[in-house]
Amino acid sequence: MLKINHVFFSHTSHDSFVLKNLCLSVNKGDYISIVGENGSGKSTLLRLLLGFIQPSKGTIDLKAKNIRYVAQKINFSQLGFPITVHEVLTSYQKLLKIKDSSTVDRVLKQTDMIQFKHSLMDTLSGGQAQRIALARALIGSPDLLVLDEPSTGVDLKNQETIYAILKNLNRTKQLTILSVEHNLTAAIQNSTKIFHLVNETGIFALRNNMHKKFYKTT
Amino acid sequence: MLQYDFMQNALFVSICISLLCPCIGIFMVLRRCSMIGDTMAHASLAGITLGLLFNKNPIVGAFLFTSACGGLIEILRKYFSRHLDLILTIILSLSIGTAITLISSGHLHTNAEAFLFGSILTVNHSDMFCIFLLTVISILTLYKLYNSLIYMAYDEELARIAGVKVDFINYAFAILIAAAVSISIKIVGVMVLTSMIALPVATALQLKKGFRQTLFYAIFFSFINMQIGLWGSYYLKVAPGGFTALNSVFFLLIVLLYKKINRNPKAPKLSEP
Repeated sequence: MLKINHVFFSHTSHDSFVLKNLCLSVNKGDYISIVGENGSGKSTLLRLLLGFIQPSKGTIDLKAKNIRYVAQKINFSQLGFPITVHEVLTSYQKLLKIKDSSTVDRVLKQTDMIQFKHSLMDTLSGGQAQRIALARALIGSPDLLVLDEPSTGVDLKNQETIYAILKNLNRTKQLTILSVEHNLTAAIQNSTKIFHLVNETGIFALRNNMHKKFYKTT
Repeated sequence: MLQYDFMQNALFVSICISLLCPCIGIFMVLRRCSMIGDTMAHASLAGITLGLLFNKNPIVGAFLFTSACGGLIEILRKYFSRHLDLILTIILSLSIGTAITLISSGHLHTNAEAFLFGSILTVNHSDMFCIFLLTVISILTLYKLYNSLIYMAYDEELARIAGVKVDFINYAFAILIAAAVSISIKIVGVMVLTSMIALPVATALQLKKGFRQTLFYAIFFSFINMQIGLWGSYYLKVAPGGFTALNSVFFLLIVLLYKKINRNPKAPKLSEP
């Protein structure tokens, strides 16, 4: 589904490499959490995968067609954007040219947010807004779901709900998930593999000694 | 009053302005770039003077020049990505410099200053045709780009991932701003043109509704503001631009006051011991 082959990246030709000789293979049904300390290149790796920046060397072979992205911040509520949950989802559905009228209700039920269908985004809590971002990402049956720290600024109850939804989608619908995580416990409990970014490169880590290994390197 | 041709023409143009300006304005306000409208309005003065210099319709001149300025803003964004204020200063220098040079040269065949404050007397049939055409094309384009523009206002990166041609739409939107500016200059005037783009939207935003309802309210407020401006300028014998801007601000203040009075009275007062 996704293969990163010996990728190097630096912001300019004069800068040192942020990522060096990075290799990562993602197969269908994987739930991979990318962990690492601040500045280890997690966000850079995400931007490379999404095609916002190009690698300095190496190749990214992306076979997934329907990629969805859940950003860390919720812009609608931050901007005071005058828009309802229903409008957020129907606009995105129309953007993807999906005609199935039951789509919005389906993704709202999947994220347990159907009761907020006609609420203004502005009135939702951070956790609820994040679940709407997740609902939006589920429109059109994605092949690959890319998340950037999905539990940032989210209360514990909503964190549990979000990870339960992700785990359920991965285990029952074989949805491939790639998530940058700062929440190591959530990464260990929910993902099938953990990719540890350290010393400008990355390695798959064993979950059993992840806590020990992570804290030793950070 | 509607027996006068000039009032019929002005009424027709005011309806076009009430429809198009808030439709463009809502995306500009939400993308936090309503000052681009002000810059484009000033840029239109250079287009007007160029139109007058070559004996062409000044509205067409304004549209072409402001479209070029809109394109230039998008090009400069790549060089000054974090300095929109600087880009607007560059465009203002170019356009106001052009306008002042041409006006002061004495080569213009008409008085360009009339466009600064707007006038209900100056709309002719050729203007009406241009304004009608620009309004229809712009509204159809906006309808087509509606969902893309919503997501670009929300998050450009997310829109890109969804396959939206963000760069192309940015250029198209710059031309739409140019159209909104061009249809408004005759009646509203260059000086306060931004008020028709931003103020009805600002008033509608206070009602805290969804996107579509906010847009409808913005069009409604814009229509009321334009009609008060038009009829007020007729009876008071003042420039419609200034009077429209004044009553737009007044409307916003009324809505803010209404909100303050109707704030939940049961809400606890923190200052009480």
